[in-house]
Amino acid sequence: MAIINQATKELQVKIVYYGPAMGGKTTNLVQVHDHVQTAAGNKGKLVSLATSSDRTLFFDFLPIEAMSIKGFKAKFQLYTVPGQVIYNTTRQLVLRGVDGIVFVADSQYEKMAENVESFANLEDNLKTLRLNFPDIPYVLQYNKRDLPNVAPVEYMEFILNNRDVQVPSFSATAHKCEGVFEALNMITRMLLHKYVSQGAPQYA
Amino acid sequence: MASLPQLIEEDIERLDRELRELLEKSDATTALIIDKGGFLISGQGDTRQFDLTTIAALASGAYMANQTIANLVHETSFNSIYQQGEKFSMLVMGVDENCLLVAIFKAQVSVGAVKYFAAPTVKRIAVQLQIAQERDPGVGLDLSELNLADPSEVFKRKT
Repeated sequence: MAIINQATKELQVKIVYYGPAMGGKTTNLVQVHDHVQTAAGNKGKLVSLATSSDRTLFFDFLPIEAMSIKGFKAKFQLYTVPGQVIYNTTRQLVLRGVDGIVFVADSQYEKMAENVESFANLEDNLKTLRLNFPDIPYVLQYNKRDLPNVAPVEYMEFILNNRDVQVPSFSATAHKCEGVFEALNMITRMLLHKYVSQGAPQYA
Repeated sequence: MASLPQLIEEDIERLDRELRELLEKSDATTALIIDKGGFLISGQGDTRQFDLTTIAALASGAYMANQTIANLVHETSFNSIYQQGEKFSMLVMGVDENCLLVAIFKAQVSVGAVKYFAAPTVKRIAVQLQIAQERDPGVGLDLSELNLADPSEVFKRKT
């Protein structure tokens, strides 16, 4: 859950990139790290706890100070989870305190079952953490759109975004930085919007 | 709807005072209060030579991983973790349901002493955090002037 520090005038927010293994979650963070425009010193190091074959073992972590809202520094902490099925306990640990989620789906036809399984796993893990899924803003990113065997976006919408409330979704080719900032900016706006609605009713 | 935990000047002053007292008594180098989700709440001592934001994220992850191991070996909790180094060592202790205390100290400083002095500090920090948690969350930060219709992006890509 976001922390508001009145004394140091900071708002800290945690965004988690979730999705199936090899879907491009770490690539999203690498692209944000490489391409984000920030004032000097506002971008932290990208920390990756990965195996020797570059698969995420625990999480990737990127802290960024993005903007000032009424004098409050907004500090965003971006995390990825390990996508491999066996690391579910680790995914639960990373989800603790989450404010918003970017679900990175793999657009390839043969990965559709893994997308669905990963999404169901996200719902299960949030339940385990006693978090109410509808209360947590999330966006969908359909990654790897540059590959030849991708499912149409409409099909992915039917599979992953076919709920009472549809969420924003983005086509992406993360390794070319396409759709990366779009998804990140949308989840950020949704989070800030949530805090506007819930944070200060007496001032409204 | 979940409330936003807010810390006001009074909370931070009290927390910082507790951390400073711990540093004086234990001879530790740096002391932090962090959230189990990975956020740095407050830090005292030598805060320049370490990347505290990243330490907070990693220390909370390490502590939480150890809690899971505790459950697997039929323990309800491992309340602290200790990492011994050649130059610096680190002790992470549970404060309450949401927070942790991290002490970084020179390797020659006794971990026993740090643990001994940290125990009462942890209790006093827990009391202050409880006060903060129960405070009216509506008081304070007003984000309502944030113009969400503003088309400018929060994160801009380098051109």
